[in-house]
Amino acid sequence: MMDNVGGSSSNIAENSGIIREQDRLLPIANVGKIMKQILPPNAKISKESKETMQECVSEFISFVTSEASEKCRKERRKTVNGDDICWALGSLGFDDYAEPLRRYLQRYREQELDRANNPPKRG
Amino acid sequence: MADGPASPGGGSHESGEHSPRSNVREQDRYLPIANISRIMKKALPANGKIAKDAKETVQECVSEFISFITSEASDKCQREKRKTINGDDLLWAMATLGFEDYIDPLKIYLTRYREGDTKGSAKGGDSSSKKDVQPSPNAQLAHQGSFSQGVSYTISQTFCFQH
Repeated sequence: MMDNVGGSSSNIAENSGIIREQDRLLPIANVGKIMKQILPPNAKISKESKETMQECVSEFISFVTSEASEKCRKERRKTVNGDDICWALGSLGFDDYAEPLRRYLQRYREQELDRANNPPKRG
Repeated sequence: MADGPASPGGGSHESGEHSPRSNVREQDRYLPIANISRIMKKALPANGKIAKDAKETVQECVSEFISFITSEASDKCQREKRKTINGDDLLWAMATLGFEDYIDPLKIYLTRYREGDTKGSAKGGDSSSKKDVQPSPNAQLAHQGSFSQGVSYTISQTFCFQH
């Protein structure tokens, strides 16, 4: 059933059967680094812990994205944007995440506007 | 204000250099945006598209999620004077923080993980190169693969109920 995921727009070369781990999960080294940043200096993280977090975080992304996608479907829009993600977080009970990320998006857009008005020099 | 250092390629090509992010190196602070995008795509209809700001919002969100759970697990380890966080600590932390629906599927995952350790042996230790090539499939690995899909299915069912 996972084979049916994705379509013509997907650039993933999926093999029939097992989806490659590197396509299904986020890289364990990056996950480990983020975990480390919050720990005391002498703490260690077991491999099973990193792999558990890999599974958990991929599911979290799918969960939030599904909710945002459903909203887009109802509104007949094709592109999921940042506001849809923030809405989905609120809808799913992650209110503490939604507010800081709205502020993040606001600053993101201000800077995008700055960049558009003052294109960086190249060369 | 100083910009953070530019990300040297890899999965973060899509991030703008003026993204409102801290000076911590992007590759150390975030998960690669290409991988995040791939996971998001699987939750969309075939013709769905993802705006760059949505990808970056999820990038930000997911790092915070990892830190949140890890921090709670770390507090528990410190109280119990243990140095190494293990999988059970993460499950405990998720339950404590209100992510109960994640517990049962991940318990199944951990049980299978400890029984077979197929994933560990297949990976050849802790090396985490980007080219995480799986060996040619054998019976055990095929089982692991079907298990992984089973986990996704179980989780989806749980959350479908929640919806």
